[in-house]
Amino acid sequence: MKKLFTLAIIVAAVLFAVNPAMASEGAEAAAKTPWSAVAAGISLAFAAAFGAIGQGKAIVAACEGIARNPGATGNIRTTLLIGLAFIESLVLYVLVIAFVIK
Amino acid sequence: MGHEASLITQFVNNLFHTHLHDNVVMGIIAFIITFVIFILLTKKPEIIPTPAQQFYESVINIISSMLEDNIGKEGKEFLPFVTALAIYIFFSNVLGLIPGFSSATGNLNTTAALAVIVFLYYNYIGIKKHGFKYIKHFLGPIWWLAPLMLPIEIISHIARPFSLAIRLFANMFGDHSVFLVFLGLVPFIIPLPIMALGLFVCFIQTLIFVMLTIVYLAGAVAEEH
Repeated sequence: MKKLFTLAIIVAAVLFAVNPAMASEGAEAAAKTPWSAVAAGISLAFAAAFGAIGQGKAIVAACEGIARNPGATGNIRTTLLIGLAFIESLVLYVLVIAFVIK
Repeated sequence: MGHEASLITQFVNNLFHTHLHDNVVMGIIAFIITFVIFILLTKKPEIIPTPAQQFYESVINIISSMLEDNIGKEGKEFLPFVTALAIYIFFSNVLGLIPGFSSATGNLNTTAALAVIVFLYYNYIGIKKHGFKYIKHFLGPIWWLAPLMLPIEIISHIARPFSLAIRLFANMFGDHSVFLVFLGLVPFIIPLPIMALGLFVCFIQTLIFVMLTIVYLAGAVAEEH
């Protein structure tokens, strides 16, 4: 009986969690001037450029690590992918803001 | 940037006469899949494992090793929560790649809900383990720096669910957008590498979310020096 109760609470929590009425997404905060598209474009350009530079440095370090120590390829590859995902997420934050601005 | 609902949600809405949103229906479907997988996981394991059992064992091994590396001995008690989170997020992401479905995590509401759950859970675990001395985690190492450290730590803790939610949402939504753009340009062969990249990103984002959850749990459970 206790398990059924716990199960019911979990199901209710899941259904509440995905309720779209409880959160607003991308509300229009900024005035949409023609310049907002320019701002979105330029900010994305900067973000992509610096993100690419950062990821390039990460890949260089990973390649050197694998060249020095081919036995640790698995660990280095995993660390590389996780690092790339973190750097990429910073670029994606800018993308989200660009969508909000535009 | 509203677009019409996917085919599955239209089908479900017509069948049950509901007006559910896209991510609600897909979230429920992913939840049902997670539930079924967990029920299948409770079957008695055999000595010579079947392929399905090997797959489950590998998934649990990966997560269990991450837990032990980061948290140590106490990591085992978080294994069910983290595994459920991982499987749910993975299936939410991957279902979006099938035409006619969409990913539940492609909507900020779902990812925000997941991030809030993780935030509340690791704080709850911290308070359960340390009582109200959990505040000491926020005060930093030296006692007279505490008025400086407390706001900084609180801000950094508040930023965590935000970053979790936006990272997952932006990856899924950006991937979908790029795919749709390519589909509009060259519908023939070119979208396939984009889909392969999307599958790769699904894996990686699940891994990142789970790993960050484990790191936050480790921070909450950590003993003071």
